[in-house]
Amino acid sequence: MSTDARWSWLRELIRKPFFWGLIAIVALLALNVLKDPNYLALSINPVNGNLVGNVVDILRASAPILMIAVGMSLVIATGGIDLSVGSVMAVSGAVAMVFMKEAGESGSLGAALGAIGLALLVSAVLGAVNGVLVAYVGLQPFISTLIMMLAGRGIAKVITEGQNTSATNDPFRWIANGFVIGLPVVFLLAILIVLVVGFVVRRSALGLMIEAIGINPKASRMAGIKPNGLLLTVYILSAVLAGIAGIMSVGTVMTVDVSRTGYQMELDAILAVVIGGTSLAGGKFSIGGAVVGGLLIATLDKTIVFLGISSSATPAFKAIVIVVLCLLQSERVRSWFVQRRRPPQGRMTPSPAPVKQENQEVTA
Amino acid sequence: MSVQRRFTKILGLAAVGALSIGLAACSSGGDSGSGGGEGDLTTVGFVAVGPEGAWREANETNIQDTFTKDAGFDLKYAPATNLDQKSQIDAFTSFVDEGVDVILLSATEASGWEDSLARAQEAEIPVILLDRGIEPEDTSLYVTRIAPDNVEVAKEVGAWAAEQFPDGGNYITLEGPAGVGVVNERNEGWNESVEGSKLVQVAAQTANWSAEEGKSVTETLLKANGNNIQLIFAQNDEMGLGAAQAVEEAGLTPGVDVKIATIDGTLAAMEALADGQLSYVHEYNPLFGETALEVVEKALAADSVESYIIVPSEAFDSAEAAQAVLADRKY
Repeated sequence: MSTDARWSWLRELIRKPFFWGLIAIVALLALNVLKDPNYLALSINPVNGNLVGNVVDILRASAPILMIAVGMSLVIATGGIDLSVGSVMAVSGAVAMVFMKEAGESGSLGAALGAIGLALLVSAVLGAVNGVLVAYVGLQPFISTLIMMLAGRGIAKVITEGQNTSATNDPFRWIANGFVIGLPVVFLLAILIVLVVGFVVRRSALGLMIEAIGINPKASRMAGIKPNGLLLTVYILSAVLAGIAGIMSVGTVMTVDVSRTGYQMELDAILAVVIGGTSLAGGKFSIGGAVVGGLLIATLDKTIVFLGISSSATPAFKAIVIVVLCLLQSERVRSWFVQRRRPPQGRMTPSPAPVKQENQEVTA
Repeated sequence: MSVQRRFTKILGLAAVGALSIGLAACSSGGDSGSGGGEGDLTTVGFVAVGPEGAWREANETNIQDTFTKDAGFDLKYAPATNLDQKSQIDAFTSFVDEGVDVILLSATEASGWEDSLARAQEAEIPVILLDRGIEPEDTSLYVTRIAPDNVEVAKEVGAWAAEQFPDGGNYITLEGPAGVGVVNERNEGWNESVEGSKLVQVAAQTANWSAEEGKSVTETLLKANGNNIQLIFAQNDEMGLGAAQAVEEAGLTPGVDVKIATIDGTLAAMEALADGQLSYVHEYNPLFGETALEVVEKALAADSVESYIIVPSEAFDSAEAAQAVLADRKY
């Protein structure tokens, strides 16, 4: 009985869309362990009691990706896409840095909170512009967020007057570099935000309504859902999450680099969502999947550096890992393997088993 | 329906109008002397790169400040739109058609300039390359190239490193994006100097010119090598500044346990050098307006000019040296 329960639990896990993402993370970590057996070793810094290790670095690096991936997965669930997250990160970082540079007090919590508040406010405004263009003007999400992606970098440049701006502020720095009970603040914060967002959308009807818009906006409106307000909310949420990612990102070095901060992060976010098993066609989302996807991308980035893969081969290595992963996730490709593995059975009884399995997968 | 359509049309026209006015304003704003039609001014067309970063800004502002009306020049400044080569070629062609006296060119891309340069030659307009060179390097197509030399600068950094570590040591290189000309030149110069010394390169990774990536890459490389790294060669200041933070967080002291050398010499790097975060900063001098002015005058007088003029760049290897120039650093 108990073994049965365990097996069904395992089977459930395997059927989760992000299962292969988890496998890929384990495989990448194993690759690193092959290079250096001590890769996974965690030690405690004797001076401040913080955990030190490669895994901790991965968790820290994954925090901004988690933020934008979660926002992106909600936007994609409505059948849209948000290409502006990378630029919103730059704007948010620029606002925070310029504010703290002007404020000047390096130890002031007030300045840090002010910077964060203002950065998130500006991000929310940018998100609202996206949302209004999509929901009320009726522009295609791809186009409206593309406009914001291009405009965002310009806005960031205007805010910083084209210069890379740095500031000093200890509380702000702590967000990206600090530790609480030995764990990096930035990762705890990211997980907390993910849990809150996940809780709100999954414990209320919000998630279902977002998915309904993605499946069929007309039908959902007839069913009594007001898509406009929801769309607006989703784009604002995505931008605010991107704003948080921007704060985390500039906080690590306390410098905003208007042309590099958040550069091409929208692609990382989309990849994370896809790796997590969310279809770009919309109508479905998985916060857990986005988290796995985000962690995988951070692991991949760190693995490339750790293994010392030459810079010119980096994009190719990344592409190969992701293509293999997408192939593994594809039900069609997997079914080829299933069929090939049991040809004798198939010949004896004209394949009722695979059909049944496919049915199950669809319902799952 | 038709009303609505007409309305959209008007709206579209208005948008186009607003855009073109905006564009016109942009171009005339950049022109530092479009109104001056006096015959005694020398017109100089400057096909520039435009907004790219602190270095470029210092460089182009310096050129604009040098070729002023008071100095007898009418400088027409044409920055590329989004670093696009086509916009540069268009600007170049219109300068040739206009018949300016001299053209200054900072090419965003090295190849594809032969036809344009040949046209300028036909029109007997001398062309002077600023900073960026062209490929293939056909010196008959232009008067001269004025630029600080990446290979030379990197060679000096390498020489400093070899001298600092006579007994050898492990080092990592933080590069710019793979395949960019500057990256190859800086690697070439560095390797030339370091070859034969006891320094060992344990890793070379790109950090895309950014501080954040510089920190992230350094953090991982330090762990991959068990903190056994004595030297970091960062190909620009930003990556070096990021690396310094990673070194600190790994519990090492920059300047003592790990020495960091960078190229560019921006203000932030000079401050860090004065603080002891960085150990060596080699300037890549953007201020060569004066040299350009001399060359332009020579070219107009049809004097012979060398085909490549290297702008001298200074090296700063101590906190004191940085302190001394910090006060009047322009960029």
